[in-house]
Amino acid sequence: MKKYLSIFNISLSQEFAYKMNFVMWRVRNVLHVVIAYYLWTTVFADPGRTVFGYDQAKILTYVFGTIIIRAVIFSARSVDVPQEISEGSLTNYLVRPMGYFKYWFTRDASSKFLNFAFSIAEFGILAAIFRPPLFFQTNILYLLAFLASIIIANYLIFVIRFIVTSVTFWIPELAWGGQFLFMVIVTEFLSGSIFPLDIFPATWQTIFYYTPFPYLIFFPLQVYLGKIPFPQVLSGIAISVVWSFALSIILRSLWNKGLKSYEAIGR
Amino acid sequence: MDKAIIVDHLVKNFEVAIREPGIGGAVKSLFSPKKKTVHALRGISFTIQTGELVGFIGPNGAGKTTTLKTLSGLLYPTSGFVEVLDYDPWERKSEFLKQISYVAGQKNQLWWDLPAIETFELNRAIYEIPDRDYEENLNELIELLDLGKILKTQVRKLSLGQRMRMELTAALHHKPKVLFLDEPTIGLDLIAQQKMRDFIYEYNKKYNATILLTSHNMDDLTNLARRVIVINEGRILFDGVLEELAGRFAKEKIIKITLSSEDGIERIKDIGKVKKMAFPEVVLSVPRAATAVAAGEILQNFPVSDLTIEEVPIEEIIRKVFRGEKR
Repeated sequence: MKKYLSIFNISLSQEFAYKMNFVMWRVRNVLHVVIAYYLWTTVFADPGRTVFGYDQAKILTYVFGTIIIRAVIFSARSVDVPQEISEGSLTNYLVRPMGYFKYWFTRDASSKFLNFAFSIAEFGILAAIFRPPLFFQTNILYLLAFLASIIIANYLIFVIRFIVTSVTFWIPELAWGGQFLFMVIVTEFLSGSIFPLDIFPATWQTIFYYTPFPYLIFFPLQVYLGKIPFPQVLSGIAISVVWSFALSIILRSLWNKGLKSYEAIGR
Repeated sequence: MDKAIIVDHLVKNFEVAIREPGIGGAVKSLFSPKKKTVHALRGISFTIQTGELVGFIGPNGAGKTTTLKTLSGLLYPTSGFVEVLDYDPWERKSEFLKQISYVAGQKNQLWWDLPAIETFELNRAIYEIPDRDYEENLNELIELLDLGKILKTQVRKLSLGQRMRMELTAALHHKPKVLFLDEPTIGLDLIAQQKMRDFIYEYNKKYNATILLTSHNMDDLTNLARRVIVINEGRILFDGVLEELAGRFAKEKIIKITLSSEDGIERIKDIGKVKKMAFPEVVLSVPRAATAVAAGEILQNFPVSDLTIEEVPIEEIIRKVFRGEKR
């Protein structure tokens, strides 16, 4: 345990070595919310209006909620792993007595911690400026389910990211591009972080719910907003847990195969 | 003495994908990959005793690095048997990894943006180094490698020589029993190279550590390793004491003569192959068996003020070996 606490600490110091990078990344996140805010306040200009089952308070809570949820779910240092595989510095980790996945999970956790702290502050500032009507969930069951879904989401994103990363073992040149294509476009879009997924037709939504992606952002927020009946909350959690197990198995076998073919020649 | 490393008929093949360029080629190779097999190691065998310092020599692509990587558990052997400190390296058990270290000249484990001391602290946790040993080992390494002043400097701001010494400190902090060094002196200036060699020598002596190193630098080998393993195209060409390499592969010896007069200097050509002739110095190469006779003849017939018999320089022998001029 002490091992991973040390990793957490050094990872935090590393983040501070790139202060400007970090600030720019946060600015990007804030902009994301500001844009969404203006879009949705226009749609909900009339305060009594409901669209796709959202009233003004709920949609704005969704928008402002994404700032914190995104910080917790999408922040990661393990985005650097594909490059480490393609240029061979993975070697450094393999010859040391520590778990590689645990190492990166810890480093991601430190990044999430830092981003979470900042996102809370940003949330406070933005809320003070725009004074949006916000929705506060008071049902303890929903809050607990929300917490559970956040934990599962963190695990899911980690596994998904490493599955995408594994491709680097076979196609090193795709290292960064693959991540970008998959993580930014597919995952952000299908996770509901750009806009809530219930604007899609019902059949699409049903299909989405069987993929792991909505459980990253959309589902936790739906739970928080109390937009789905509790039995459906439980079945959602069940599906995401099944995905967690299934994807873990896939990752392990991919990764072990990858390691065997790691480092072709010349290094 | 017990054996630290056992390698028996080790074979390692790589499947290298051949692919057309571009993203289209990449996608195509994903579904119907074309592959070529590269034979990096074609069945090598050797054993190394605890406390030995062994040098691996070979041209690029000979299989040196592949061997080291297989021994440190990075590569999965295609076939054959490998054992290091009674462990199968590929399993990468913690107890095994805590006793070895793998240092490659071009790779770094130090955190680039932080002072090296941060990496040392991290390694303290990763290798679970007890507090007392941590201080003691670190102080010793700092003194030996002269690092006191730059411990708190960001790694990115260190010179290559300084960084390599830091890397070595990071790699040795947990006092590994087996050390794999891949090109430890690459890119270093002559003084830094010498410092590095002195240190490796010291470490080997002091802790009776088993050290395997690869190098292109002949000085590394002549100064450090008593035993060398010459490897080329995945096969071991020679395994033994460095001096024997000359006896085995050099068909000739070198006679260096200093003459006191130029009289009849031309006749010296009949005795052996002239490698250099610039009065008063003459260098001849003569067949091994005929060395004594040739030397006697020279002493009798020429105004010699000095004469020495030497082995062909090790670099030259190795160059010959690699060019395929065997025996």
